[in-house]
Amino acid sequence: MSASTAATAAPASSTSFVFPSTYNFPAFFTPQPNSTTRQSQLRKWSSLIQSWCRHHRIYRLSIIEAIDSPLFHNATLRKRLDLAEARTIVDWMAKKEEEGGGGQRAEWIEGPSANSGAKSKNLAWIWWRRPDEWADVLVDWIDATGQRGVVLTVFELVQGEATVSQGRCSVLRFDYVFTQICQANSRGLEFHGMDHDVMMKALNVLVKRGKASVFGNEGEEGVKIF
Amino acid sequence: MFFKPLDLTTALRPLLLPDETLLFVQDAVGLYEGKYKIPDYQNGHAYLTSHRVCYVSAEESRKYCVGIDLKEVDRAEYQVRGAGFFRSSPKITIYPKPQKTKLDTRTNIGATVSTTAHAGQLSVQPSSPRPAFTGDQPAASPKPINATWVCPICSFSNPVPSNFDPATATGNTPLPPCLACGIKPPLATVLKAAINAASNRESSLPTAEPPETGRVSVPDKNGVSSLSTAAKPVPCPRCTFMNHPSLVECEICGASLGASAAFPQLHGTSRTDSPAPFFAQSRIVNSEVTDSIKLSFRNGGDKTFHDRLKGALVQRKWLLQNAPPVPAPSQRTESPNNPGAAAVESPQSPAPRSTLVGIAGLEQRGLETRINNQLVIGNAFEDLEALMASAKQIVALAESLARESGMNSNGGASTETTTVLSESVAALGMVTTKDMLSSGSESLYLSELSRDLAEYLTDDRKGILQREGGIMSLIDLWAVFNRSRNGVELISPSDFQRAAELWEKLKLPIRLRRFKSGLLVVQRYDWSDEKTIRQFQDWMEELRRVPPDESVPWDWSLFGRAITAQEAAQRFKWSVGVAAEELEMAEDRGILCREEGIEGLRFWSNHLVS
Repeated sequence: MSASTAATAAPASSTSFVFPSTYNFPAFFTPQPNSTTRQSQLRKWSSLIQSWCRHHRIYRLSIIEAIDSPLFHNATLRKRLDLAEARTIVDWMAKKEEEGGGGQRAEWIEGPSANSGAKSKNLAWIWWRRPDEWADVLVDWIDATGQRGVVLTVFELVQGEATVSQGRCSVLRFDYVFTQICQANSRGLEFHGMDHDVMMKALNVLVKRGKASVFGNEGEEGVKIF
Repeated sequence: MFFKPLDLTTALRPLLLPDETLLFVQDAVGLYEGKYKIPDYQNGHAYLTSHRVCYVSAEESRKYCVGIDLKEVDRAEYQVRGAGFFRSSPKITIYPKPQKTKLDTRTNIGATVSTTAHAGQLSVQPSSPRPAFTGDQPAASPKPINATWVCPICSFSNPVPSNFDPATATGNTPLPPCLACGIKPPLATVLKAAINAASNRESSLPTAEPPETGRVSVPDKNGVSSLSTAAKPVPCPRCTFMNHPSLVECEICGASLGASAAFPQLHGTSRTDSPAPFFAQSRIVNSEVTDSIKLSFRNGGDKTFHDRLKGALVQRKWLLQNAPPVPAPSQRTESPNNPGAAAVESPQSPAPRSTLVGIAGLEQRGLETRINNQLVIGNAFEDLEALMASAKQIVALAESLARESGMNSNGGASTETTTVLSESVAALGMVTTKDMLSSGSESLYLSELSRDLAEYLTDDRKGILQREGGIMSLIDLWAVFNRSRNGVELISPSDFQRAAELWEKLKLPIRLRRFKSGLLVVQRYDWSDEKTIRQFQDWMEELRRVPPDESVPWDWSLFGRAITAQEAAQRFKWSVGVAAEELEMAEDRGILCREEGIEGLRFWSNHLVS
């Protein structure tokens, strides 16, 4: 199995994304001054971004690129969200719920790849599943497949045939939970083809919980979940 | 004298008759009948107008309000604070005119010798009334000016000397002393009296001639209409004016015509069947005042009220209803000092004048008008006090001059504006000026101003608020209101705002409202945000039902259409500023939400909050 397969890019969706009705509401694209309306508007944007990313399997969202995508640009209405407003929404998503935010559904990446200054808010993780939620999914899968204590490579988890699709599921041990996970996503397990960094974050959550240990060099990590 | 019912305006003030002017207002006034307080009439506003004294209670104004016609008032006496046994508020006692026999009811011992009381004594010997007075007059002329001036010291009514000419009188003109107390009057008093008499001038000619010729000689058709009735006129015992037989008092000098037995018919009509005891009645309206009424001034203002009341009783504006505003030029014949008038007018001019027709007649009339104007202006500028007295005439004159000059020079638009301007004063009606209130009572001024504004706004003839869709900004109102005051007695912005803030307190039918941005607007009292919001919601519903004119990319049956402030202003007849504020108010309540685009700011029904 070669690692060269492009997994970062979102796989083309088989069915086209269905936008919510508010997407066609022109006032949706203008920041609202009324705080109640504003909260509701932000919540609607947040859920739209999350479902868009989930649908397109996007983990890190480049705001600058997305600004011209249908997500932020409604061609029929000829309305678009401007960059600053998009950043405000992601800011809101990144905040905790107790702070009046969207419950950490996003996180800015101040990565080296994002050149021209660390503070250029361009790339952001969109947590349609937060790392701890991913960790739960992983544990469920390990339990379902009875792989506790088994050493797996991260590569196996992300790209392995075991996680790839429903068809192959029957090869492995079959039980109810596993079926559920498989059926949840017809193209395979949810974390199949997952961003490597996201997987590492999820595993780190497990390590902190004391439920897994990660070893090996960078890029060739192995993991054992107990 | 009767307590008459009052019509109140929207601002709970007495509705003025045409020609009636407001002279004075005082708050915290109580009403007495005889010696006794009248219940429910103990705290209110007293309005002195040129025709009436009105009382409007502060609480339940519509129920407790009465008026007394000044023409039924004999005299007013002033009772100083603390004059009685124990300290009490200063009071003004108003005595009614006697209905029937007067001498037996009248006691003349009081310090104030009133006009009628004096005349009452004289009327005992009506057979020879004239010698009693002509002896007093320094220079009795065949054509006396029938004016009286009231002595400021003892308030005795003195005749103005016949050789007194208001056009030429200066500080050096010798003036006869008061007949009662012997103190020389100030020039202003006599001037005022003379001018007042001059303005109801039409009566002076008939006295000099038999009434038949008098009717012919005065061209004014309204002036002596009372003379043209069939009954025989009654001569006044004091000034010899031929009065209408049904009059109780002389039209000119106020002297009683009582004993001349000219009004037997009055006995029957004026008698009430049986005056009920006063306090048995819950309402005093239409009940007769037998003794006197008292106004108790608990908050000051008594002195001015009394002065103006006395002035109003002397002026007798109610007689002037149909009098021409400017004295007829013919009166100048009796001022020999003025060569201009003498040159133009032959002594008995009426007959020759009527023969002048055509160009010559027009020229003659123009000349007369100019001389007349000269007289009025001359009179007015003699003295500031006198100017005040003849202010109305001067304003009328200035207006007509302005109208003429506007017509001559610019024509068209400016004529229209001058007309509008000059008419707006008259149209404004009841206006409180600082002059009508005792100085220092700032709060009374403000509350009266507040009532003025309320009346102005709710006046259906002008329909200011309706035209603005029931809401208008305070600044617009200030501008409109001051403009309608025609540049006189302008109101400062701070007074204006404070007056506007009083609306709520005075329970007037309008209210002041502050928008979020700080914009102050004026609204009907019963209008609320909820009503506005309901209007918006109805509109939004309508937009969802009616398909838009052009195809729209969104689902109009779900979202409807966006509205702008302009559209809202047009629909509800608001000004755009107000419409924008109302839209933002609705947005603030979460009913609407905004969309900013290249078309500008538009508002949608709020589909973001579900």
